[in-house]
Amino acid sequence: MALIRDIAAQGVQMFLVLLVAPLMLGITRKVKARLLRRRGPSVLLPYRDLWKLMHKEAVLAHNASWVYRVAPYLIFAATWTAAALVPTYATGLLFSWSADLIAIVALMATARFALALAGMDVGTAFGGIGSSREMLISSLAEPAMLLIAFTVALVAGTTQLSTIAAHMIHEPVGLRVSLGLALFAFVFVAVAENARIPIDNPATHLELTMVHEAMVLEYSGRHLAMIEAAAALKLVLYFSLLICLFVPFGMATADKTPRAIAIAIAAYLAKLVVLAVALPIGETAVAKMRVFRYPVFLGGAFAAAALAVFLLFVSQSF
Amino acid sequence: MAVDVVRLEADAVGRQAFDLLGDPAWWWSMVVLALAGVTCVMGVLYALMQHDLKRLLAYHTVENIGIIFIGLGLAMAFKANGMAWAAALALTAALFHVLNHSVFKSLLFFGAGAVLTATNERDMERLGGLIHRMPATAFAFLTGCAAISALPPLNGFVSEWLTFQAILVSPQVAQWGLKFLIPAVGALLALSAALAAACFVKAFGVTFLGRPRTGAAEDAREVDRFSLAAMFILAALCLTTGVLPGPVIDFLAPVVQGLLGARMPVQASVPWLSIVPIAESRSSYNGMVILVFLTCAGALTAMFIHRFATRATRRSAIWDCGYPAASPTMQYTSSSFAMPIRRVFGTTVFAVHEKVDMPMPGETRPAHFHVKVLDPAWRLAYGPLARRVWSAAQRLNGLQFLTIRQYLTLTVSTLILLLVAVVLWR
Repeated sequence: MALIRDIAAQGVQMFLVLLVAPLMLGITRKVKARLLRRRGPSVLLPYRDLWKLMHKEAVLAHNASWVYRVAPYLIFAATWTAAALVPTYATGLLFSWSADLIAIVALMATARFALALAGMDVGTAFGGIGSSREMLISSLAEPAMLLIAFTVALVAGTTQLSTIAAHMIHEPVGLRVSLGLALFAFVFVAVAENARIPIDNPATHLELTMVHEAMVLEYSGRHLAMIEAAAALKLVLYFSLLICLFVPFGMATADKTPRAIAIAIAAYLAKLVVLAVALPIGETAVAKMRVFRYPVFLGGAFAAAALAVFLLFVSQSF
Repeated sequence: MAVDVVRLEADAVGRQAFDLLGDPAWWWSMVVLALAGVTCVMGVLYALMQHDLKRLLAYHTVENIGIIFIGLGLAMAFKANGMAWAAALALTAALFHVLNHSVFKSLLFFGAGAVLTATNERDMERLGGLIHRMPATAFAFLTGCAAISALPPLNGFVSEWLTFQAILVSPQVAQWGLKFLIPAVGALLALSAALAAACFVKAFGVTFLGRPRTGAAEDAREVDRFSLAAMFILAALCLTTGVLPGPVIDFLAPVVQGLLGARMPVQASVPWLSIVPIAESRSSYNGMVILVFLTCAGALTAMFIHRFATRATRRSAIWDCGYPAASPTMQYTSSSFAMPIRRVFGTTVFAVHEKVDMPMPGETRPAHFHVKVLDPAWRLAYGPLARRVWSAAQRLNGLQFLTIRQYLTLTVSTLILLLVAVVLWR
């Protein structure tokens, strides 16, 4: 019985992130449109888009190989797995111990690896430019992300996300310089990894500025639907990571009654909506960056995260 | 062969550090760690600049040496601080990486050999689209690329994960030098892991994906079954050691025990085939569950798509925003793929020199683009040394054109000098 309940809790987590992902994308688009004094489409548009794409014919280039056809499934599966293993509404879920923060980062790298290869499969200049720039961004963002992982791991004494969240809730962690720097770095990394302004523009089809869109330019139909769904999931994954690492308050830790879980889910959704509103506000305030300015942007994140780790190595009380 | 040599060297240094030299002083580990961290990043950056497939793999071995030596250096640092359990973790990570490297690097070299046999070509700029002509080799090579890029659930990730876990226990070391160096080395390790992924996206993408750039690539034939079998066995090893790392760690334990007198916790007793780095740690990793999760998620998605989405598929010409490149040579090449990274990291590290020779409007000669990449080891160490040797040789060259009297004088005076030396020595 207990096992069935545990599996159900894990399943709820898995489908919760999947179901809310397009909604969060819809909210960011709506808020952005309002900030630009447009009315903007319904927040439910991403769901309808996915449904529409799934019912369109998939057009493949003559020389597209199996990598091109398998990649969308792998990207979606890896992103979904990673998102399902980040604690969202409760800690200590059945499989929460199977992947720690470092493994989650690496799972995202798996998805990115598949996406970059898919971009190169047909042999177009756009696909190549997208893959090449994506790998540049990742090689700058991933070290920063791992240093953030080090920071929280040094504060909480583990890289296990579930335990980190429980530690942040129950122990008197307080306001720390190191965590502040890590949060700062995390926001930068999340913006870069999710292809948002100022690194990339999710709404553009202007060649010179495309990164993510350039890689998936050839995709259509159900394959594109899966890649879009994976991108939405990735956004929710980074929101969930931010919530889990820095503001886990409201999560169900010890008390696993239905009432506590309902409150925890409501708290999680509320936090997601706050982040989904905050993201476009930040995006509207800045301009897109040139490609060779990325190192400055992500180098800032890296420096902040490195400073946080050094401070913690000097003293655990920072 | 190269892989074996690497393994032997690492073994030799490991034995020297822990067996022959007795208790290491803490600052030795600083030297090892600093060199290893720099080696890691330089190795992978240099591999990224290559467009010869085998040279790329060979330079990438340098990065793996760096990772192995980071593990060894950490083990020395922990041992000097009397933290035998942490030293066991770091040494296990290093040995695990030695094992992993011997598997996936052999696989990749076999793959490069297969490409060479099939096309007579090692230059990636003249390959492309091999996945259609050599599907089995492409699959095995892709597995190796994913494993070496430290992607879960394959084996490369396990040893990197263990190394990261070893870095995370290091705030407990006493020396300030190490306290500052170890997180910096961790950052370098993370950087090199991300760059390795870029390097192998390039290696696989340019060689096997896209359209064939030359006739040799177009007419490639799949290699024989024995070569394929060798590659597939190694690819299977990449997966099995990735999803079942526990038995491997237990297998390495006697070696670690023999060198350090401590070992990692027995992994066989950890439930669900997870691995844990240290006994009281609350971190764990389970490649098997990750693999099951990935398979389930992929299968569920495929089922959903096949149930609810249309399966209509049409083959058509390349879209590319309406302007498909007319010639396959206009695809992204190896050097264009590496260009952003070359610009960001290369200009300072390698003194990269790019020269574009663009004809004036109306001129009919072709444009040229040259990239010059200089290894700092050449610029700072081998180059000056070679120049010294050369100039000394130039000066000594005069000795070849003496008269017979001068030669006799030289011979006799050498004899007298040596006799005097012998007398004084006695």
